[in-house]
Amino acid sequence: MTDDKDVLRDVWFGRIPTCFTLYQDEITEREAEPYYLLLPRISYLTLVTDKVKKHFQKVMRQEDVTEIWFEYEGTPLKWHFPIGLLFDLHASNTALPWNITVHFKNFPEKDLLHCTSKDVIEAHFMACVKEADALKHKSQVINEMQKKDHKQLWMGLQNDHYHLIPGSNLEIPANLPASPNNKFDQFWAINRKLMEYPPEDSGFRYIPFRIYQVTTERPFIQKLFRPVATNGQLNTLGDLLKEVYPAAITPEDGEKKNQVMVHGIEPMLETPVQWLSEHMSYPDNFLHISIIPQPTD
Amino acid sequence: MLHALVSPGRGWDGRTAANSLSRHEGVGGAGSVAAELCVRRAAYAWGRGSCLCRRCAAPLFLHSPAPHPASALALVDVLLKAVGDTPIMKTKKWSVERTRTIQGLVDFIKKFLKLVASEQLFIYVNQSFAPSPDQEVGTLYECFGSDGKLVLHYCKSQAWG
Repeated sequence: MTDDKDVLRDVWFGRIPTCFTLYQDEITEREAEPYYLLLPRISYLTLVTDKVKKHFQKVMRQEDVTEIWFEYEGTPLKWHFPIGLLFDLHASNTALPWNITVHFKNFPEKDLLHCTSKDVIEAHFMACVKEADALKHKSQVINEMQKKDHKQLWMGLQNDHYHLIPGSNLEIPANLPASPNNKFDQFWAINRKLMEYPPEDSGFRYIPFRIYQVTTERPFIQKLFRPVATNGQLNTLGDLLKEVYPAAITPEDGEKKNQVMVHGIEPMLETPVQWLSEHMSYPDNFLHISIIPQPTD
Repeated sequence: MLHALVSPGRGWDGRTAANSLSRHEGVGGAGSVAAELCVRRAAYAWGRGSCLCRRCAAPLFLHSPAPHPASALALVDVLLKAVGDTPIMKTKKWSVERTRTIQGLVDFIKKFLKLVASEQLFIYVNQSFAPSPDQEVGTLYECFGSDGKLVLHYCKSQAWG
């Protein structure tokens, strides 16, 4: 279906308008202006905020600048979670832009992993891709690939070139969706192999997914779940939730308490998880699902 | 014989604690069952804020932050295998709390092997991927465990990228 390719593009090009403000207690030599940026949902905070760091470093003394970290309404933001997941989980039902506070001091060791270089992000990203393939294909597909193919997946995530709108610090992506040599094509040339499965099967061995909720103590729910039931029927998102997190499903005559969100939308619970896995996974090949309170308005 | 994952602390070192536990060993089947019950009872007790395992006087610091509910303290069996020229742990089989993170496991192995804290240690699942330091052992066990245990390879250098 041609519609399915559109879903892949919509997921890839999703952006979140964000306003970065320096934490008030950071020591500055002059006033720090906020910095506006459109963040790619599919990327990671520390991968796309070099310009943010440079912007605030300009008003700070060199010795006061240590590792950058980000916080939203008091919650440190885990850079190793994709940006779209962080937004869906913490701020999806609040007014845009997403207001993120930038810190350079008092790194919260208990909440955040250190990110000392781009290599750390690459290692984390590739580990997720490998873990996903361990679930989907017993690692057969990822292991058959050459190192250069792995590199191509990572390169697909690297910053697109951005155009600066003259007279402002607002940036928009320069790569147009129609361009044939853009990062999307580069990424999917390899990633499509990770989305294949033997013709005799109806899907992957297990679906790589993680379910997040802000209120719980556990970091996320991840379990073995087959895309096809024993009777040959495709398992749906509803089936997945029933099995691993039944509390997220609204009872028959009950009031809807939660939203089940992926990439900023609520897929119908009747959607087959195999389809979701192929079309709405993040570049790390995981379905990152947020359970958030139903907004009351 | 399955040992509890012991974090040395409050004046106890790994050796002393391990020796305390080993007092249950060599007593035959009853001894090992007693030891295992001791471990699991202590694990459960920790959830209530106190350690019951005073009989062998081994303090089982299973989790330094605030106690978790008992269900979270369920233990999973982990088999640790050395890769390359990384020192081999004398005890390879461990009972680990579900909520212990990979970082917590790394810290424990480093202490046990007397490695310097600054030395790197990589952990691999299925000899194919290195889980994130904040990953929980329980989740990895559920997804990648086999024959009732989770096999983890550890290495001082990057083995599988």
